[in-house]
Amino acid sequence: MSTTTAPATAPEAEGHAGHDHHPPHLKHYFVSSDQQFDASKMGMWLFLLTEVLLFSGMFVAYIVYRAWHPEVFVKMSELLNPFWGGFNTLVLLGSSFSVALAIHYAQKNDNKKLVMNLAITLFCAGIFMVVKYIEYTDKFSHGIGMGEFFDPTGSYAQYAIPYAKQFFSIYFVMTGIHGFHVVIGMGIFTWLLIRARKGHFNSEYYTPVELAGLYWHLVDIIWIFLFPLLYLI
Amino acid sequence: MAHAAHTDAHHGDEHHGHHIIPFSLLAKVFGALVFLTGLTYVTAVYIPLGPLEVPIAIAIACTKAGLVVFVFMGLKWDNKVNLLAFSICTIIVLVFISITLLDTEYRGDFGNVDELPLDDRERIEQAIRDREEALNNPAAAAADTTAIETTTADTTATTP
Repeated sequence: MSTTTAPATAPEAEGHAGHDHHPPHLKHYFVSSDQQFDASKMGMWLFLLTEVLLFSGMFVAYIVYRAWHPEVFVKMSELLNPFWGGFNTLVLLGSSFSVALAIHYAQKNDNKKLVMNLAITLFCAGIFMVVKYIEYTDKFSHGIGMGEFFDPTGSYAQYAIPYAKQFFSIYFVMTGIHGFHVVIGMGIFTWLLIRARKGHFNSEYYTPVELAGLYWHLVDIIWIFLFPLLYLI
Repeated sequence: MAHAAHTDAHHGDEHHGHHIIPFSLLAKVFGALVFLTGLTYVTAVYIPLGPLEVPIAIAIACTKAGLVVFVFMGLKWDNKVNLLAFSICTIIVLVFISITLLDTEYRGDFGNVDELPLDDRERIEQAIRDREEALNNPAAAAADTTAIETTTADTTATTP
């Protein structure tokens, strides 16, 4: 499909240069809506790649500590409930699906379904954060925090082994920064929902939905890796 | 006339420029992602895979990430420059991980003038210490004699 679309776009975009047609969303320094869309999307991809690099630093910390102390990581994963981790994975996958559908319906000018799918995405993000809140408060109530705040009590005292502290520092920093991204995403989807309800988006202009979708998929991908690494293996 | 021609050209432009991913494909990919999540859960929690457990979990996660990147994020139909940027980033991450592991896994070996790597030398010295302890205190060591014998054999085989 791409092989046929790519050459078709270029000459038509050139053809646009002579026209005075300026839709409200089109900035004057772009030749066409398509050029503006492609530039925005490429900018978003570059931003997302810096996000990948941000998280890769934390993944490297995880890999190095795991390579040094594999038995600690296996034992500590007992403290993380794979049911909640798996449930949250499905919630995020569902929200990725709904945001992909939101873009799909924006391209088809179906505003009602666009609004519905944005609402589903926002709702799923909310569920994710509620589950994370339950997990975090459960950890804190047993004295499991990061760094200095790692002081397991009661039946959890058996987990106070060397390098357990480092595992939970890695766990809280990685899931914490990921959760922060989810909260930012919720703000973005609230904003998009308000704009979509006002009918700001259509097949000619849906760039914010597309870019928010890209961001949200990246947040999903990070969790796709965090779930097995922290909860399962 | 001119306006009509322009509108037509514009619509054609939009249609060709933005690939609309079909609903059926999105649904299939979502189904595949849910299936793979179930698979990684079952393989990690219920099936004892031994040393393969970690590679399998990572392979499944990479497959899932690939599906999201190429279909949900539309990289498959996107401008090739985004694919290039994504590929470079992936390579940088792999370099980041492998170079760091070259340091942390072989730390000290580069300045080591011994003919054995640090890890091997440390294992041999530990085995020698264990054997001396066993000779000094035979009763306590009697329980794990076999373990000492194997490490001793290892020591004599590797020590020049």
